[in-house]
Amino acid sequence: MKYKGIQIENTFAEAFNMKASRIIVTADNLKWAKNACDSFTGFATSVIACGIEAGIEKQLNKTETPDGRHGYSILLFSMSRSVLEKQLETRVGQCILTCPTTAVFSGIDSDDVIPLGKNLKYFGDGHQISKKINKKRFWRIPVMDGEFLCEESTSRVPAIGGGNFLVLSKNRSSCLKACEVAIDSIRNLSNVITPFPGGVVRSGSKVGSKYKTLIASTNDAFCPTLKSITKSSLANNVNCVMEIVINGLHEKDISLAIKKSIQAIAGSNIKKDIVSISAGNYGGKLGQYHFHLRKIMK
Amino acid sequence: MKPVTLKLKKKTKFRLDMSFLSCNPNITSVEKLKSQIIFNGKNQYKVTELFFVSGFDVKNIFIKSAKDIMDNIGKNMDGINITVHGNVGHSFGKEMKSGVLKLYGNSLEHTASGIKGGSIFVFGNTGDYLCGKPPTNNTGILDGLIYIKGNVGNHSIQRMRRGNIVIEGNIGDHSCHQMISGSIIIKGKIGKNFCDEIKRGTIIIKDKKIVKNYLLANNAEVNFIKFYLLQISKWLGKNILPLNKNLIRYHGHKDENNLCEIFLVKN
Repeated sequence: MKYKGIQIENTFAEAFNMKASRIIVTADNLKWAKNACDSFTGFATSVIACGIEAGIEKQLNKTETPDGRHGYSILLFSMSRSVLEKQLETRVGQCILTCPTTAVFSGIDSDDVIPLGKNLKYFGDGHQISKKINKKRFWRIPVMDGEFLCEESTSRVPAIGGGNFLVLSKNRSSCLKACEVAIDSIRNLSNVITPFPGGVVRSGSKVGSKYKTLIASTNDAFCPTLKSITKSSLANNVNCVMEIVINGLHEKDISLAIKKSIQAIAGSNIKKDIVSISAGNYGGKLGQYHFHLRKIMK
Repeated sequence: MKPVTLKLKKKTKFRLDMSFLSCNPNITSVEKLKSQIIFNGKNQYKVTELFFVSGFDVKNIFIKSAKDIMDNIGKNMDGINITVHGNVGHSFGKEMKSGVLKLYGNSLEHTASGIKGGSIFVFGNTGDYLCGKPPTNNTGILDGLIYIKGNVGNHSIQRMRRGNIVIEGNIGDHSCHQMISGSIIIKGKIGKNFCDEIKRGTIIIKDKKIVKNYLLANNAEVNFIKFYLLQISKWLGKNILPLNKNLIRYHGHKDENNLCEIFLVKN
């Protein structure tokens, strides 16, 4: 199948059940809200070693935040509830509480409640003040720039992690450019994040390794430098592959993100160097969700 | 479904206990509501003998042309909404747990006494002991939102534990006595002995009579206050105080060891 001149491979992305939560970080200005968010979402690219996958979902204007200041919403994903709880608490304590002028609020509601500022309040050493407004409890913790305001808890919801597509290109610069175009097109899309640096992955992995201790290793079928010595999935003219991994709250959000990304690449002038769009999967036996590229792009 | 509407047929000689509307969880249909018994002096009446009743939705109740002999409207209310047009008697919304209670008129004493949740809106004045202690409890309101458009009587807001109170008018003498926590906005004048024996809590006022007893805090930014005013304004659907107004913060009494926080709205 060709979409506006770009070959769409007949394959699917394989994604997994995860647990997600959303927080809203605000500050006096966007610069400091971004600083806090960058710090919070640092080292949160993959659950394999980081515990959670996190990213900035979108920028929020003053009318969209609870305290009428500029802010960002962050989505965080994990395979287990306990890890999500622990990572959320640790990262808020070390990255947002410490950042000047910030405040943090829950950005999602469900019956499954997890602590946000519940334990952080003890940093106030007895000077913390609780306020309950409309069934929600907030904590005011005195800090050196004034006061850190945080909501007591946020919620956990079922989510999907690992939606993806691969950009197969003739050279590295065009591949990177195409990925940048794709990421820009979904930057402010609700309910999805791209947790990897700049949203792009160059080290796609396969399950297992020749080394017994490793659970994942390089995806040799898509490594252009190994084309001549391994069972490669790449055509002769493909010299670079990059992956965009998309985590989302619902199946339709990930499908929409994939669609918008591919549409953006197809609409850009870089498409002449793009050989095809493919997707990463493990044969369909591991993941609960399959995102068929051709079905999405119909 | 059309809300149940009640209208008094004739003014009775004695006071009417209206708690039958909210205290009985078994009222699931308008027929059951109509068969409720009301005591009036030595006599007993069915609801239909005293009220014109129409509508079907017993979770949404309208009372038209209410009289100040009607006590205990919304008492122990949980999960229903009552809207009242006219003046009401004592204990309006006493110990309610959830739901919305609206009054387009005035109420007598003990309004919102010991409420545990929900919202009470009074678009008029209230008598003494607003948000007071119920006879069976040593704490005042435990949670919820109370909005009073008009003035409030004496001895109001006793031993408030949690919750949010917004008073657009004046408040009488001996109010906010022994407040434990919670937040109060008073846009009018305050009476004598305001905030006696208070422990903690946040009070936002325009009347600067009280602040001379409190320690002026520095100009440190308090993230909470703008957030609070914004949330309360959203909840009430109207701007209570302009957000750009300067607020001067006072924290802690000069002589007593209390942790009360007072924000004075700079005129």
